[in-house]
Amino acid sequence: MEDKSETGELIQGTLEMLILKALIRGPMHGYGVAEWIQQTSQQVLKVEEGALYPALHRLELRGVLKAEWGTSENNRRAKFYRLTAEGKKRLNAESQRWMRLSAAVAFVMQAS
Amino acid sequence: MIPGLHEWMKRLRALFYKQRMDREMAEELEFHQALLREKLLRQGVPQLEVDLATRRAFGNASRWQERLRELWQFKTLENFCRDLGFSARLLSKSPGFTAVAILTLAIGVGANTAVFSLVNALLLRPLPVPHAEQLVVLRMDENGPQPNYAFCTPFFRGLEQRRDIFEDVFAFNGDTFQVQGRSGNENIPAMLVSGQFFQALETPPLLGRYLTPQDDQPGGSPAGLAIVISEDFWNNWFNRAPDVVGRKMVIANTPFTVVGVMPKRFIGADPTQRPMIFAPLSADPITDAPRDHISAGIHAWWITVVARLQPGVTLDQTNARLLTISRPILHQTASDASYIADEEKAHFHFVAEPGSRGYTYVRSLFRKPLVAMFAMCGGILLLGCLNLASLLTARGAARERELATRLAMGATRRRLMQQLLTESLLIVFLGTVCGVVAASMVSHSLAALLLRGNSFIQNNQVDTSVDLRVFSFAAIIAIVSTMLIGLVPALQATSGNLSDHIKHGQHASQPHELRKLLAPVLLASEVALTMMLVVGAGLLATSVVRLFKSGVGFDPKGLINIAFSMDKQQLEGDALMRRYQQLGEELSHQPGVRSVSFQFIVPLSHRHWTGLYSAPGESPHTLNMNSVAPNYFETMRVPLYLGREFGWNDTRASGLKMILNQSAAKLLFPGRDALGQLVMNAREKTSYQVVAVVGDTKYQDLREPATPGAYVPIMQDPQEKPSLSAVVRIDGPQAPLAGAVHELSSRMAPAIPAPVLTTMDDVLDASVSAERMMALLSVFFAGCSLLVTGIGLYGTLAYATARRTNEIGIRMALGARRAAVMAMVFRENAAIAAVGSLAGLIAAILASRTLASFLYDTSPRDPWVLVTSLAALAAIAVTATLLPALRAARIEPMAAIRYE
Repeated sequence: MEDKSETGELIQGTLEMLILKALIRGPMHGYGVAEWIQQTSQQVLKVEEGALYPALHRLELRGVLKAEWGTSENNRRAKFYRLTAEGKKRLNAESQRWMRLSAAVAFVMQAS
Repeated sequence: MIPGLHEWMKRLRALFYKQRMDREMAEELEFHQALLREKLLRQGVPQLEVDLATRRAFGNASRWQERLRELWQFKTLENFCRDLGFSARLLSKSPGFTAVAILTLAIGVGANTAVFSLVNALLLRPLPVPHAEQLVVLRMDENGPQPNYAFCTPFFRGLEQRRDIFEDVFAFNGDTFQVQGRSGNENIPAMLVSGQFFQALETPPLLGRYLTPQDDQPGGSPAGLAIVISEDFWNNWFNRAPDVVGRKMVIANTPFTVVGVMPKRFIGADPTQRPMIFAPLSADPITDAPRDHISAGIHAWWITVVARLQPGVTLDQTNARLLTISRPILHQTASDASYIADEEKAHFHFVAEPGSRGYTYVRSLFRKPLVAMFAMCGGILLLGCLNLASLLTARGAARERELATRLAMGATRRRLMQQLLTESLLIVFLGTVCGVVAASMVSHSLAALLLRGNSFIQNNQVDTSVDLRVFSFAAIIAIVSTMLIGLVPALQATSGNLSDHIKHGQHASQPHELRKLLAPVLLASEVALTMMLVVGAGLLATSVVRLFKSGVGFDPKGLINIAFSMDKQQLEGDALMRRYQQLGEELSHQPGVRSVSFQFIVPLSHRHWTGLYSAPGESPHTLNMNSVAPNYFETMRVPLYLGREFGWNDTRASGLKMILNQSAAKLLFPGRDALGQLVMNAREKTSYQVVAVVGDTKYQDLREPATPGAYVPIMQDPQEKPSLSAVVRIDGPQAPLAGAVHELSSRMAPAIPAPVLTTMDDVLDASVSAERMMALLSVFFAGCSLLVTGIGLYGTLAYATARRTNEIGIRMALGARRAAVMAMVFRENAAIAAVGSLAGLIAAILASRTLASFLYDTSPRDPWVLVTSLAALAAIAVTATLLPALRAARIEPMAAIRYE
């Protein structure tokens, strides 16, 4: 079976938030989403393909994302994901929640 | 959009584009892999390691697909479709079981739906008019045992003048009009309606206008007498002529003008009548001539009154207002002081009751038999369900190993239950479809059977078409049956210890005590239910047979009544009598005719005429009257004890004559010889001479003993133009007579409508139509239930025995005799049948009291019926049990042990 990644194992909710964040910049295919997250996190967060695609499809099914077939930068047919209005709302709510949560965790961890 | 709905739609879409989705998923992953590979190559990783790394990152491709597909799947629906396919395959593998199951259900569902559509048509369906819920039916309460729905004209007109109680109030009466056609007069079903009838029913006419209060005046509106016709009549009589409005029609020798056509859906306020012509109520003296219900005032109780409530006024408020005007109306309209006093003492008042379904007399007549029939049908369905449940339990037991294996492989119990229930659903669905299709045909003939030839409710129709209500009813019973049939076997089959099932498979040696009991209990209750149905059917059938055998005082075999409507032709008095005499003579010369006479009232046709008569100086008694022609008692085969028949020379000039029946003779002249005595009419103070004493005959009701009665000669009938029925005794078939009668009447009485022929047997049948129908149907249902039970007993035992083939083989190999094996198998069902019949017998005896009101001269515990029912059930049970037992006895030990 798939081996648990040593670095940057992401819990599901967080992965979904990161995907939404990646797509706020414009439509992108799955590989692009994974690459962007990895690069932006300075290679700390590694997105597993086995988690990425189910998450993308789940978000599409819920109407948060919309998928369209288009042409990639190297002229190949690729499935591009785009945020819907619903998705933008969702990203907003998720990022606020994350801010509060991480700040709270930071407070706790900094306590002497 | 609602998120849930969005998802649901997408999943539904995915179901149809399955292959495309799969392709796209593969393409998406391939794209990802390609980019990944390129990136690794760019980083300088050797080719071999690149392949390895991508494969490691992605793993098994088909597993990927599976994971993504699961996301998109429409799980419940896909599972359901798969289950349906599986069930269909399973059922088609055992066509015998499937056929029996579907047939059983089709009978149950069909019977229920058929009867329900009758119940719906007669008791439930609202009138097809706008806002039917605002309609109310009026009645009069006089402290009597029965509410009175028949109004007299003065009371109705009193109500009609009060504009403050109802939005509209109207009266109607179903009637038959004599309409002049191309070939003489014809009888057409019609309805007399009061002025506000059409405006209250709010249905716009198809052509022209409808009748208004201006038309409902004596002599009609200034423009003359108006009628409205139905669309059907417009089609048949006028060929849909567009200029029909304004045409004249001659009804009862009087011209009427057609002013409008009503659409087909409009049937008036009586759901069982289909009037072709609507005429104003005030035209009654013309259309019913020589009768006149309007001048008869408070002595003619002939119309039904319906009203539409004022908007925003409740039924209670309306009834409160009706209470305050009841007495004023009584005082204003009734002229007879003693009548007013009587009614006041009885707290006479008008009452409005919900009338969205209109009013029909038939309803009161058939409510009880219909409800009883409905209960019987419910019994049949329950029986079918029990039967199938026990068959499925037996089948489930045979599938124990399969189900246990699936459970062990990780199927959830819920999933297996789903599958088993799908199977029952499929059976029920097929059965229901067959049943509903059959029902729509059956209910039609059922309605015809119900209303056939009942002279009291002529021209009636019941619309038994399948509407939304009938459809929902069928759907509900289908769902309930699925639950009844499927749930118990499914629960049972999926319960219990897994490994035990797998180990023992079909030979589960120690079934749980509870489970062991289930099938016998189901079967025994089935037998008990059948016993109840058979006893009920037996009682009803016996009662009807006794009713027919009870004797009517005359010989109905070979008697034919021919009704001549003479009330609207020219001849009257003695001239008319001579015409009748000629008709009689002509009739008696027809081939096959033995004797001919005439009567005013056909016995047992529900018409009646009573009079108050006394012996001189004694108190008067009520006698049932009839006027008859010479030769009457010979034709009817009523014994003539003393004296002579009437003769054609007993005219009004020759002194009034009378014939008494035996009961009347005993009543008026106890201990004396009645012959030659004088009988006084208490009202008119006239005296009659008794010329004969004859045997008693039943007059109005077959169920009641003969009553005291008297006959007067038709020549002395006070009516000027009596419409008499010829009564003809014939040998052989009636068909030739029918032709001869038509020829005769068009020659001798061209002005009258074609005479109507009915056999006396039909009259008798019709007079007990409710009992007869119930008896017929219950015998049919009892037959069905016997069949169903037989199938159930046979099927269950056959399964159980098949499962024991191995065991029986071993027993025989160890020396068991075939007879012993047979007895062993036989015993299983014998116990069930015995316990079931006993329980059923007790239940039947307890329940039969409810049937008592339908029974004539038959005790609800009639031992003969009980014993016969028991014997019938026993015979069926033995046959159903013997077959599997014989098969068990024929098992070859060697083959059986090797089996598996």
